[in-house]
Amino acid sequence: MNGKYSREISVAAALGLLLVALALFAPNFYELQPLLSRTTSQMPALVAAIGITLVIITRQIDISIGAQFSLCGVVAGLVAAAGMPLGVAVLAAVGAGAFLGAFNGLLVAWLGLPSIVVTLATMVTWNELLRLWQQGRFMNLPAGFQWFGLSQAAGQGVVIGVAVALLLAAAWSMKNLAAGRRVYATGTDAEAARLAGIDPKWTTFGVFVLMGALAGIAATLNLVQSPQVQPNAGDGLELKVIAAAVVGGVAINGGRGNLWGVLLGLLLLANVNPALTHFKMEPYWERAIQGLVILLAVIADGMKRTKKAA
Amino acid sequence: MTAAKSTKAPFFRHEFVLVAVIVLEVILFQALGRRFLDGSNVSNIFRFSVEVGLLALAMTPVILTGGIDLSVGSMMGLCAVCFGMLVKDASLSPWVAAVLSIGIGTVGGGLNAFLIARMKLPPLIVTLGTFSLFRGLAEALTKGSKSYSAFPDSFLALGNSTVAGLPAQLWIFFLVAIGIWLLVHRTTLGRSFRAIGYSPEGSRYAGIPVERNLSLAYILTGAVAGLAAVILVARLGEARANAGIGYELLAITAVVLGGTSIFGGSGTIAGTLLGFLAVAILNNGLKRMQDYEIFDKTIASVSNEMSGMLTGLLLLVALAAVPVVKAITARRAKS
Repeated sequence: MNGKYSREISVAAALGLLLVALALFAPNFYELQPLLSRTTSQMPALVAAIGITLVIITRQIDISIGAQFSLCGVVAGLVAAAGMPLGVAVLAAVGAGAFLGAFNGLLVAWLGLPSIVVTLATMVTWNELLRLWQQGRFMNLPAGFQWFGLSQAAGQGVVIGVAVALLLAAAWSMKNLAAGRRVYATGTDAEAARLAGIDPKWTTFGVFVLMGALAGIAATLNLVQSPQVQPNAGDGLELKVIAAAVVGGVAINGGRGNLWGVLLGLLLLANVNPALTHFKMEPYWERAIQGLVILLAVIADGMKRTKKAA
Repeated sequence: MTAAKSTKAPFFRHEFVLVAVIVLEVILFQALGRRFLDGSNVSNIFRFSVEVGLLALAMTPVILTGGIDLSVGSMMGLCAVCFGMLVKDASLSPWVAAVLSIGIGTVGGGLNAFLIARMKLPPLIVTLGTFSLFRGLAEALTKGSKSYSAFPDSFLALGNSTVAGLPAQLWIFFLVAIGIWLLVHRTTLGRSFRAIGYSPEGSRYAGIPVERNLSLAYILTGAVAGLAAVILVARLGEARANAGIGYELLAITAVVLGGTSIFGGSGTIAGTLLGFLAVAILNNGLKRMQDYEIFDKTIASVSNEMSGMLTGLLLLVALAAVPVVKAITARRAKS
């Protein structure tokens, strides 16, 4: 029991330490309003992290999610700007995301291509397509879109509520539904899963489609937080959520990991930058620290594996 | 006999198709963009793409072993920034700084090598981590915006002069290409790259020092990324943290386009060179459309995005072509 959750415990400990240090040395970190805004601004990443967790557990990777996120945001923005109701804009974003995810899934599941190269190529293709199409311009959203037309506090509540509900639903399904077990089985050993009557191709395809749809939801949750559509909103999102998943104990070789660890990983990484600012350090170190954290997490994983083998 | 045929025939076809693609690109751009085949433009094609070519050459052994190195572009950024600091802040001669920058690239490659070969961690996630780490260090060292320029003319000549009628850096490219060709195709070390990619376990049983040889592939890539960074700085006359962004994609595209299997085990340097040519000509041709305002202004002004998008699509098509062709021939053989 202790060994099984050792990663979650150590990440939680690191997060706790960081939060205590902030409480002692930078108590204004805990002012309610900024804390609430910061939390809300992390919710899109949380939703995307749910998707990438499933992808990595299936033993795949998707680095095109930042591009998917940006593209879905622009699609939702265009639909909203055309005067459509909010629900239609959300559906458009989710549909666009699912379509982009299906494209990756098709190439990975049925052509057997490595997901890293496929999604590297789709990442660049979507990003450049978006720049070609939008020329980097910011689009104004109609009034009544921001915070779903509610007050800011209520809007923040809805954003956090949706993300947490998705997290709970995904965590429950991964544990209790046949579909969730299929994801673990495919990632552990695709051939064994096939012999057990699971179709690893459909499972992989489904996970990529779900990833895209979640990127669409994440993009909408991001969109309602500002009066404008940022055409590059998803830049670097893929690294952030992959780092969160790896730090949270999702095995990059597939088959192992759970969403609670990922939540802890995301919270830890999300607090690095505010901590840097509160401790009056330069924020330019964020990306280097992110890289270092990814490396440390895989090293810890690798050492665990060699220990087990010995 | 038939087995030998079936392994050789598609390989020949692949390089033939690549040559056809290159010829087609040249004809297309010659027809659309005036003076595409001018001597000065041909040398420009190479001048502007030598860095990507170097990365593609060094990436080939890595992909042959079944690995990948996503960190090369970020490595270039870090080496470029270090080069600038060594020349401007430590006031070293640019040539000493160049050697040191290549050394920094080698150390960075060594970090990848240690984690991948020694600790047996997956290359994908390790180099994704160093991708972020190297670029992050470059940004942290320059506080996100500082750039170094005004290097001595003798150094800038490396990127902007011609030697014996060809861009100076092209001669370095030739040297590296010959060196890596010899390494991959004429040494036991080079053959072991393919063996490792084909079957790491089998290579170990065959007595190949897998750990050492795998390390060498990643260290070489780091060193070449350092060299590419120095050449890029010499060409642009400026060193900043964003040097080489996205170059890993171009290099991987060139290698995969050149017929090297992304799963490792098979591929050639000649193929990589052809793949690199196809990518370089595509990028140059599209950029020239901008200069000559071939299409209406709106399309011409976005040629950078176009070439990025087309490179991504080209990689997807090149990747998908292999299994699709295989499936079609298998179906034909059945019926």
